[in-house]
Formats: sequence, structure tokens, C-alpha cells
Amino acid sequence: MPTNPSVPNPYLPTPMRVLRAYFESTDRTLKTLELSFENLADKIAFFKKFNPGQFCQLSVFGKGESPLGVASAAWEGDFVRFTVQRMGSVTKALHELKPGDTLGMRGPLGNGFPLADWKGKNLVIIGGGCAFSTLYALTKHVQHPQNRPDFGQLTVIYGARSSGLCMYKHDIQSWYQRDDMEIHQAIDVPEENWDHHVGYVPDVVRQIAPSPDNAVAIVCGPPIMTKFTLPALVSLGFPPEAIFTSLEKRMKCGLGKCGRCNIGSKYICKDGPVFSLAELNALPADI
Amino acid sequence: MKYLLPKNELYSRLARWSAEYSILAPQKVGEYSEFLPFTAQSELCLQEPHNTRYPAKALFFPQSETILKYNRISGQLESAAPESQKRIVFGIRPCDAKAVTLLDTVFAEGDNQDPFWLARRAETFLIGLGCHEPCATCFCTSTESGPFHTEGLDALLTDLGEVFFVETLSERVEALFSELSPAEAAQQEIALAVQAAAEKSLPKVFELDGIKEKLDRVFDKEIWAELSQSCLGCGICTFLCPTCFCFDLVDEAQRGTRVRNWDTCMYRVYSLEASAHNPRPTRRERTRQRLMHKYSYWWEHAGKLGCTGCGRCVRYCPVGLDIRAMIKKASAYESEAQHAN
Ligand code: SF4
Ligand code: SF4
Repeated sequence: MPTNPSVPNPYLPTPMRVLRAYFESTDRTLKTLELSFENLADKIAFFKKFNPGQFCQLSVFGKGESPLGVASAAWEGDFVRFTVQRMGSVTKALHELKPGDTLGMRGPLGNGFPLADWKGKNLVIIGGGCAFSTLYALTKHVQHPQNRPDFGQLTVIYGARSSGLCMYKHDIQSWYQRDDMEIHQAIDVPEENWDHHVGYVPDVVRQIAPSPDNAVAIVCGPPIMTKFTLPALVSLGFPPEAIFTSLEKRMKCGLGKCGRCNIGSKYICKDGPVFSLAELNALPADI
Repeated sequence: MKYLLPKNELYSRLARWSAEYSILAPQKVGEYSEFLPFTAQSELCLQEPHNTRYPAKALFFPQSETILKYNRISGQLESAAPESQKRIVFGIRPCDAKAVTLLDTVFAEGDNQDPFWLARRAETFLIGLGCHEPCATCFCTSTESGPFHTEGLDALLTDLGEVFFVETLSERVEALFSELSPAEAAQQEIALAVQAAAEKSLPKVFELDGIKEKLDRVFDKEIWAELSQSCLGCGICTFLCPTCFCFDLVDEAQRGTRVRNWDTCMYRVYSLEASAHNPRPTRRERTRQRLMHKYSYWWEHAGKLGCTGCGRCVRYCPVGLDIRAMIKKASAYESEAQHAN
């Protein structure tokens, strides 16, 4: 018999304020928001729980909530970054926010990447489109001098449809100068002045052929990219236990209660969004 | 303890309780009975062999409920206050009380417990009425429940004609009945005989043993298309189901509130994604989700079956789809298919 009614309201967002807002892509469909906390206690609670790979529900009051992967690492500062693709009414409202505007946030939600299990491993990070945002957070996390020794080689493969859709351009450009990682960028079709890869991510992965030895591969992208990248990794010798992906589904509560984001008995929001391919293979085809 | 409650004293007893508690009991509204507040004018409907149409879950998890208020200009946010009230739900059937305990596993256990559910639950007593004449749509004996199942109840009444035989099941309701005369051994025996006869009148329609595994194995088979052919996708089976808990969160911009509304996996938009992809695009996948959730996934989430056999989905489906037949067919599909080969 439940007896303790004095639990906090888990649907109540924490108040946030827009610190910076800027377009990420030249077609203005991707906008990055950096949010600061209105209350110190909320900030402490957030960073105590936060792990790259987690997501938050952003609220625009009067419009509703939208789940978005966190695109920043904790060490970057007292803010949380999101890159929002303009899709429906909530994301449209998020795009309209200006620095100083307030909004709500619930999170961090979900499991995030199993970093403790990846200790000492080489990381092969493969992303496409705006789903790369959580992988950006992961890369930023790994790059920090305090975290870097926890992992072996770091290889990032990032594809976008065109150069105008490449996110975090300035920062990623600087990764080419780093001697502790490899960065490969790709766009779908050739463009003038593009001196990186051209082609679809699965093909680029095959071409680069990262070694599966002592490595884990993390794949986040549009469903079609993920669908073809997973078998490419398998054929390179990555076992299903060493391949990870992050799933997206329609979500409301983000807490495993509202019922809609399940695949079989697993809730993406609570048991995921990060799953290994081995875990996914054990689930029914409900995607 | 065991007591006798003469039927002709029922209303005066309820009236006395209502000084301290608000009482909810089944009453007739049009063709159907429904849990409504008991007042001096109330006429209870306890004689129907079946359940209220509207499920008792609504007493703890209303169809629509404000969960927070906001001010769009100032950004001010405020949680809605969970409602707590001393209540007695009188005449709830065992299947519905069991359903409330199943929903406890969603709202009152683990992380992120639901304060609205907890507050309503904490001070509400469930006084159940066993079913001495289970009806044709009931199948609680097949679903880990039964016409006199006591899970979730604070007291259980057995109809013995002129009197109710009362068995208290929790300390906290003892005082409500202490003025009644205790039941004697002979009356208890009659009650047990009534309970046993009711139980016997409902032979099992299927065995649960192995059902989950059988359903899991036919997940991607054609049987679901066949089973869902006549479904209209109206969602009645889920809205009226006492164990369905899916909800939507919606902003009511005019009022400045965020509201939680019951939702249903039987609707296309339920799982439709912003990219226009839908993991459950047809009735086939949606019917499969409804049945698999109750008869497979619930075991993994709570170690229990997610259906109490209340029969509402059978009784109120406009095209007469019967979950008993659907489960039987789906779980037999594999062996039939093998036969055919
Ligand atoms: S699935 Fe049908 S019989 Fe089972 S609890 Fe729900 S409404 Fe009742
Ligand atoms: S009540 Fe019947 S017709 Fe309506 S959604 Fe359920 S199974 Fe389909």
C-alpha cells in the first residue's frame, strides 16, 4: 500500500534561461541553444546525474515538450547545450527563443553511454545528421584531459548531407590539429572546396575500416544510416556487444510511465536510449 | 475479523461513515453503473453481476488531470497540488482492486513515483464486493484473480441474501465495522460455499503457463493481421481497461496548465513520430501491442499478468472482439502452423 505522498512532481520542469542561441546550419533548420539554470540546486542536481548520451525534455509553455539529446559535456561550463531540428510546433517554438527567454527542462533522462564499461577501450564514434549532437557531447567528454587517459584511441566519423548542414564546424575543424584523435567528415555529394570524404556514412566506415580490436563503436544517426552502418561494423569484425546505438521514438513522460516508447518490454526513455546491438537483437522488431 | 452487515442497515452505515469519509459507490447513470459520491439521495447499484462500465482506476488516475501550472510571460512554474482526501470506495469488485495494485507498480514503485496517484491512494479504503454470480464476460479465474480475490482490498463483502458477510483484510478499516455483530462459524461456512460456487461457475478459459513464451514467439507472424481485421481502432478496450495506464501530456494554452490525459495505443497518432515514421502503422501492430503488453511485457515489468479478466474490453468492444479468443488463437498459432506444415 503506497503511503508516502510527499514525493516531488516528476513532470515538473526546472526553469532555464537561454544563454546563447545560434543557427547551426546554413539552411536554418538546425539551431543550437545553450541554457543556464535559474536555480543553483537544479544545476547541482543536473550535473550530479548527467552522463553523455542522456536527453532532456524541453518545454515551451503553451506548446508542450520535445525530447532532445544533450550536446555538451559537463566540463564545458554551467550550461546545457541542445541542437534543435525544426520539425513540429514545439521545435518551431524552440527556434524562436532568444537569449534571456525562459523555458522548462526535465532531465537528464535515460541511461546515457556506459562509459564505465568502455574504460581502456578504443572508441569509434560514428554519427550522421543532427543525431550527432549526443556524440559531440561524448567526444567533448572524452577529450577532457582528465577523462582522456580512461580511453584508448579515439576515432570520430561524422557525415552530413551537405557542408552547410555540418554542425559545430569551428570546433570540429580544430580536431584535425589534435594528436589524440582521428576525425573524418563526410558529405553525401561532392562540393567545391570540400577536402574531406564524400559518400554515405556506411561506405565511409567501410573505407576507413576501423579496427575492432579492443574497440567499441557508437552509432547515432538517421534510421537509414544506422540500419546500414550496423552490418558494416559487423563485417569489420565488431561483435554485437561492442556496437552501441541510441534510439529515438515518440516520447511524452520520459520516465517509463506514459507507455508509448516501448520496443517489446523495454522503454526507450528509461531502459535506453542507448542499447548495444546485442540487446537490440534480443528485442522484437517493433521499431 | 468477520462481521455481518444486514442489507437493511447498509445505507445508515454508509451515512454514518460519510461524516468522516467521502464515499464512492456504484450508482446507475442511464444504462450503466458508475462510481459516484454517496449522498442521502443515492441509490446504489450493487446487484449487477458485472462491473461498472467506467473503470475504477479513474478514482486514482483521472481521465484528465492538471499536473502543473505555468505563466508564459514570467516563466513561473507551479506543481498542481496532489489531492488527498479520506475516501471509501465501496463495492469495488476484486478484479478492479487487483488492477489498482497492478497500477501501483507503475505509479507507486521505483524511481519517479507519481505524487498524484500516491496522494489519492494513501487515504482511500477499498471495500470490495465479491461476485457471487460472475457473468459471461468475466474470466478472472484465468488471470491470477477471482470473484472473491482479496488483493488490494481492505475488506471483502460476500452477498448472503439478507446480509453481507464482511471480512476485514487490513487493520485500518477495523474500526468501521467494529459495531457490527461478528459472524459465526455457520455463516462463514455459507460464505465460503457461495465463494466456492462462484469460483466453480467460471472454469478457466486458458492456462497462463507458457503463454508469454508462446506469444513472444509469434510476434512477427501473420496471426495479428487476422486477429485485428475487424478492429475499428476506437480505443474503447483500452480506455475502459482498469490496467491500461498510457497517458499524454498536453498544454492547455488558454488556461496556462499542463494536463495529463488518458491515451491509447490503439490510435495511429499515439506512436507517430515527428519524422512521419510510425513503428505501429496499422491495426495489426497496434492490436499486437495491446495484447502483448498485457500478456507478455507485464511479466517482465512487474512479474505479473497485466489483465485482471474484468471483461470490459469484451463487453464494450463495438465489433465484439474478445480478448480471450484472441489470446487463445495467438498462443495456439505456433503449434497450428507446425501442424499445417
Ligand atoms: S484487458 Fe480486458 S479483461 Fe483484461 S483487465 Fe483490461 S479490460 Fe479487463
Ligand atoms: S474496442 Fe474493439 S474495435 Fe475498439 S479498438 Fe478495442 S478491439 Fe478495436
